[in-house]
Amino acid sequence: MKQARKSVSSVNNKAHLALSFSLFVIGASLFQQVQGWILFLLTCGVSMRVALYFKWNRNLLSIRTLNLLALLCAIVLAYVGIELGLLLAMINLLVMASALKLMLLRTNRDYFQLVATSLFLCACGLIFQQGIAVSLFYYVMAMSILWSLAMHVSPSLSLSFQLKTLLKLFTQALPIGAMLFLILPQIEPLWRMPTGKGTETGLSETVTPGDIAELSKSDDLAFRATFQSDIPQIRERYWRAIVLEKFDGRTWSIHPNRLRFRQRLKFARQPKPVIPVGPAWEYEVIAEPSNQQWLFSLDTAQSNSSQIWQSHTYQLIKNQPLQSRFKYLVESYPEAPLNNALNYFDIQLNKELPEQFNPRTREWVRKLREKHPDNTAFITAVLTYFRDDFRYTLKPELMVAHPVDELLFDHKAGFCSHYASAFAYIMRLVGIPARMVTGYHGGVLEEAGYMSVRQYDAHAWTEIWLDDQGWQRVDPTAVVSPERIAFGLQQAVAYEESFTADAPFGLVQLRDLAWLNNLRQTFEDIDYLWSRWVLGFDRSSQQDLFKNLLGEVTPQRLSYLSLSVLFIMGVLLSIYNYKAWWPQNNNTPIKQYLRGVSYLNKWGITREQWQGPNDTLVLVNQKCPDNVQQRFGVLTKLFIALEYQKSPASKEQLQALRLEVKKLKALAK
Amino acid sequence: MHNMLSQAITQISQHIIGKESQIKLALSCLLANGHLLIEDLPGMGKTSLSHALAQVLGLNFSRIQFTSDLLPADVLGVTIFDNQQQQFCFHQGPIFSQLVLADEINRASPKTQSALLEAMEEKQVSLDGKTYQLPKPFFVIATQNPTHQSGTYPLPESQLDRFLMRIQLGFPSLEAEKRILQQSTVQDKPLKAVMTVEELEKIQQSVNDIHVSENIIDYLLRLVTLSRESTDYPNSLSPRASKALLHASKAWALIEDRDYVIPEDIQAVFTPIAEHRLRHSIGDIGNSSTLSQQLLQQVDALI
Repeated sequence: MKQARKSVSSVNNKAHLALSFSLFVIGASLFQQVQGWILFLLTCGVSMRVALYFKWNRNLLSIRTLNLLALLCAIVLAYVGIELGLLLAMINLLVMASALKLMLLRTNRDYFQLVATSLFLCACGLIFQQGIAVSLFYYVMAMSILWSLAMHVSPSLSLSFQLKTLLKLFTQALPIGAMLFLILPQIEPLWRMPTGKGTETGLSETVTPGDIAELSKSDDLAFRATFQSDIPQIRERYWRAIVLEKFDGRTWSIHPNRLRFRQRLKFARQPKPVIPVGPAWEYEVIAEPSNQQWLFSLDTAQSNSSQIWQSHTYQLIKNQPLQSRFKYLVESYPEAPLNNALNYFDIQLNKELPEQFNPRTREWVRKLREKHPDNTAFITAVLTYFRDDFRYTLKPELMVAHPVDELLFDHKAGFCSHYASAFAYIMRLVGIPARMVTGYHGGVLEEAGYMSVRQYDAHAWTEIWLDDQGWQRVDPTAVVSPERIAFGLQQAVAYEESFTADAPFGLVQLRDLAWLNNLRQTFEDIDYLWSRWVLGFDRSSQQDLFKNLLGEVTPQRLSYLSLSVLFIMGVLLSIYNYKAWWPQNNNTPIKQYLRGVSYLNKWGITREQWQGPNDTLVLVNQKCPDNVQQRFGVLTKLFIALEYQKSPASKEQLQALRLEVKKLKALAK
Repeated sequence: MHNMLSQAITQISQHIIGKESQIKLALSCLLANGHLLIEDLPGMGKTSLSHALAQVLGLNFSRIQFTSDLLPADVLGVTIFDNQQQQFCFHQGPIFSQLVLADEINRASPKTQSALLEAMEEKQVSLDGKTYQLPKPFFVIATQNPTHQSGTYPLPESQLDRFLMRIQLGFPSLEAEKRILQQSTVQDKPLKAVMTVEELEKIQQSVNDIHVSENIIDYLLRLVTLSRESTDYPNSLSPRASKALLHASKAWALIEDRDYVIPEDIQAVFTPIAEHRLRHSIGDIGNSSTLSQQLLQQVDALI
């Protein structure tokens, strides 16, 4: 208590300086979450400590001033906090409090509180980002806080020695930490993190043709997939994400009835079962955070994760929006037909026609239908029309009033969502149920063995219902521009400069710089491994690990496993600390001698700690019977010879000393 | 060699009765090449002890009685003009002896005190731009009256540090005093020297050869460290003090006829060496040996 209240000065106090800087860097790293005025407050606190350190100023703010400041800050934070949401408000509060504490810092207790808060802030930083670089950054920050603590506790030791000790401790802790990470039960979180307000990225839930061109220019990662089985051909890699069934003539969106229907099924816990047919592709997907619920999969997909809902439109939907990277396992059966459990509701939904817009198309379709009353022939005719004089472009004209009319008869140039929208509309006009599906197409297989799919791979295609076959994928873009499907977007628009022109340092433009590309690729590979093996380590991966280790997972074997891990940890700890824990070598002359002395208790002699061997002998000669005096005299002589004389102690002498001790013990009995 | 030492001790204890351990301490101080400060009331035998030491060790001896009007020149010597030779020549002061007794050193003014102490440290005298070497060996035995007595200038800590040991004689026991009174006639008989100066130097050399085991060094370090870490001690022991401890305990071991040091040796010389360095104020000269005893008792001799 006395120690805690002891006041400390910041003058020339390296510990305070280091802590201030660490706090400042951590605060700065949270600049997206923390309000500007709080960061300013923190900067003020840090500069105060720097000024104190260099003795530019020696006056601390008075506690009364600080209390007033804290009160004002709290009021402001309470005012803005309502809009921030719980999580952000709490983090802002924490940073604000530590800034104020930094200004207050007077006693040991303040310092320790500040250290604990800084460490907690480090952990808070990991809520928002978990990449390998960010994790490393926060490790380094935690180390620097601990370094400051070391400076505080033992200020006289050199900085390099403290750092060495810290690194040593860190290295020692590493295997134990790794083991605990692997073996501790992965418990579902006890409390859910309050949902932050994240901006949605990636695919949009409404498509007004023109949107996806914006997306195409971004080279951000959408997701990565690792195949355990064969890798499907590029023309088969249609990653389904969102199914859009409502069309008002201009915009495609998710049908509200579909949403309601899904809610009801979810409430009744009736996911869409997939009947496995034919061979399967097995793969693992790590989706980047998008703040949306849509996941990505090849048709027909099935996943066993409890966090994934298998919808009746063959999508995989996560129960909560993706706030951080999410890893899931998928099995896809490409040969399984998309026709099971379709009902009247599905067909009705996908026959709905907007009442207005696009009069020319209606007229054209009516004429064409008269020529081709058969469905198959009609579809072929439409696709032929598309093939003949349409062009794929990322810079289409604006088509506002009657989008389909303008595409079909005026401009004859557009990209995937234009064609998918037009084709689905035409199909609905003749009574064939049709809908638009958006997702990604393609993906690049990286050398590290995973496939990366980026935002510019976004794609839209059409699905039509044929009574005998179920839902069939028709991609009019493939007809207009076969390169788009066979080789990817870049090939399709190779003649257009527009591609990624807005992003001068985009990935695609850097393709030419080989080394830079390699470097970036290496980073991405490391990042992939990190997210797959560290961030993605969940209960099922743990189960797999146990299975690999134990063969069959039984409670007995599990308990053996945990016992052996405990044992290994015990061994490691004792290796680290054996010097401190283990009794020193018991066979030194002093140990033997002291043991001998302890037997003198019987004659009422206890050695005071300051007594040397001769003093004790004198005491013995006063109090003990002759035979003991004699024994102890020999013992003392041997001990002095062993411990203090010049000649090195021989084994025989040590043996003799032990023998004497034993004889004395016998006498004591 | 030990023979000579034990002879010397026997000889001196004929003269200074009942003070064997003080005699041994004084002897070990001289063997360890250090200066000795004897602190006690007048008439306790301080002067007799130093006299006896000089005689037994075969050293030439001079005595300076310090008074308040004593000047540095009275100690060191003066340069005066010689009319016959028509030049200045240096007349050596009483300090140019192998064993100097500086009696009642704290009665002189600080200026004179520091002149003596400088000579003790440097083992030479610098006067009028010339340096004169003091004889070898060179010992100073200073005596000091308790400072509460009138007419004293207490020695500051920095100068106390120049003395390897500070001992007190103390009153003799009744029995010893009886013998003193009975033998008062014998005292006038001069003592025989038991060794030559060369032999003394040889013995001093052999002190260096005494074996000190690591254990002893650790014990010494524990003592010194505790004095630095604990707040109980106003002044902590300097490395000079720990060197002095080691050296003196070797000399003590030699007097005890051993060629190795044991913890008891350190304990024997600890109080005379450490007490005056640990103490706080200069006005606090008494019989107390509490600080060093307390320190000894706080440290384990065998670990």
